Amino acid sequence: MDSVCCGPGYASPTDAMMAPSEKILYTIAIYTGTGIQKPDYLCTIDSDPESSSYSSVISRLEMPGIGDELHHMGWNACSSCHGDIEKERKYLIVPGVRSSNLHIIDCGTDPRKPSLFKVIEGSEIKAKTNLSAPHTIHCLGSDIIISMLGDAVGNAPGGYLHLNESFEIVGRWENSMGDIKFSYDFWYQPRHNIMVSSEWAAPNTFMPGFDLEEVGHLKYGRELHFWDLEKKIPIQSMYLGEDGLVPLEVRFHHDPDSTHGFVGAALSANIIHWWKDSAGEWKWEKIIDVENEPHPEWPIPVPGVISVILLSMDDKYLYFCNWLHGDIRQYDISDPHNAKLTGQVWMGGLLNKAPEVNGVKVTGGPQMIQLSLDGKRLFVTTSLFSTWDNQFYPEIRTNGGCMLMVNCDTENGGMEIDPNFIVDFGKEPNGPSRCHETRYPGGDCTSDIWL
Amino acid sequence: MMRKITIKNRGNITYDVDHRKPLLDSLKANGVDLPYGCKYGGCITCAAKLINGRVNQTAQVALNNRQLNNGYVILCVARPLTDCTFEIGVESHDLLYRNPFTDPLEDHELKADIATPLENRK
Repeated sequence: MDSVCCGPGYASPTDAMMAPSEKILYTIAIYTGTGIQKPDYLCTIDSDPESSSYSSVISRLEMPGIGDELHHMGWNACSSCHGDIEKERKYLIVPGVRSSNLHIIDCGTDPRKPSLFKVIEGSEIKAKTNLSAPHTIHCLGSDIIISMLGDAVGNAPGGYLHLNESFEIVGRWENSMGDIKFSYDFWYQPRHNIMVSSEWAAPNTFMPGFDLEEVGHLKYGRELHFWDLEKKIPIQSMYLGEDGLVPLEVRFHHDPDSTHGFVGAALSANIIHWWKDSAGEWKWEKIIDVENEPHPEWPIPVPGVISVILLSMDDKYLYFCNWLHGDIRQYDISDPHNAKLTGQVWMGGLLNKAPEVNGVKVTGGPQMIQLSLDGKRLFVTTSLFSTWDNQFYPEIRTNGGCMLMVNCDTENGGMEIDPNFIVDFGKEPNGPSRCHETRYPGGDCTSDIWL
Repeated sequence: MMRKITIKNRGNITYDVDHRKPLLDSLKANGVDLPYGCKYGGCITCAAKLINGRVNQTAQVALNNRQLNNGYVILCVARPLTDCTFEIGVESHDLLYRNPFTDPLEDHELKADIATPLENRK
């Protein structure tokens, strides 16, 4: 719990787990690609079960332009600045992956009704850094680092945008991209002076939609990259091959002393584990392999398409979504070499296991997830990316996305969809929209890194 | 030189536009409400379907050859070579998106940089 002595976040993951429950959530919702000519927007959702507006959108902040495709976001400060009393977790950085605009949103002045503080125009970023397509945002002390998936005209490998704490462009963060072919997600573990990054594809490849054939033509990633964090250069790449097609979300253990981490290979539908062995070598292994499932109308079995992974704050459970199958899984990773399936729930997906949940038709599958600091409440949204949604779940255009909550048993394992929580984005005032990533004002399981 | 652009799914309304300017800019300047994203021809958000006429869209990198053969045009970089008729907006996207597993592309239907030309096959 914060006290007057300290900056944002928590002294340790253990302290974070004792924080009060989240009362509100921030989730982006998009109209890009839907045919509704309105800006994408940031929703504030009431998640306080004692509140009369529980499980509903309580405010909406529209972006200044249309066509941004809001996607992922991140805080200006996290537990990496816990020792700095001058710092405050106040601003959400909300990029448009198509426009490259960075929206700096003030969530501190009125947490229930955020306001736009500043926009860094995509044109300025392109002109100063030759980068576009912002994705993952992490703060590290005073610095804000954003993975950018392309150059100014959408070619790989992109690079890293460095902002200062006043949200001014410092320039490129990295000193070299080495032989890296693609960018996507990244996470760092400062005590080991290491950063790990993953690979999606060039913006010009993934933005128009998914052509499966382009995987075979090496237009999609299959490597994981280890960086010297201080020198800002890649030092080792791991070729994951067929086991690691399209490695997306990367997560280190929250424990800042640990070298263990995980990545979800979306198309291979595998979880890859990495760690540093006793000889000081970085190693990787496949620990989970989701079988493809038969489908009556498909010529080949359906791959899970693992669109996200997440670790509980105590590093005990790994959660991931199979966006095409429609399930969320919980694995006990107390032994990171031996993951044990402990929970599974179904919502939407192509296998018709749970077409309707809590009275709402689920269009899309479980996609982005965010877990409460105590590990008990997992919030789930259903849209992946506008063009990919349009390919796999075209009805989402009229039905919109939705947000559900899953109650997680942190003692014995197990998951259950909460029957009383549903936010139906099909009923938004301007028409059906699609919800994607979620963050909690007091921190969550993807925002905080400890120095 | 001016070209006449007809929007079929907006009651065949017509606009005279400068042939040197990207169609997205010209149509927006005339008040047409169009979706768009990257504005450099890479993200497909502004795709429209060409019913009649010809455009120069060599700068686009979003469309594969099947989408091109189905008449799609990336308005943010396309310039009209003749008078043209379009369908615009997501109502025109019926053939733009397909399930890549159930409806795969032939080698000649891939994007230009990796496609095998039809005449080279066999």
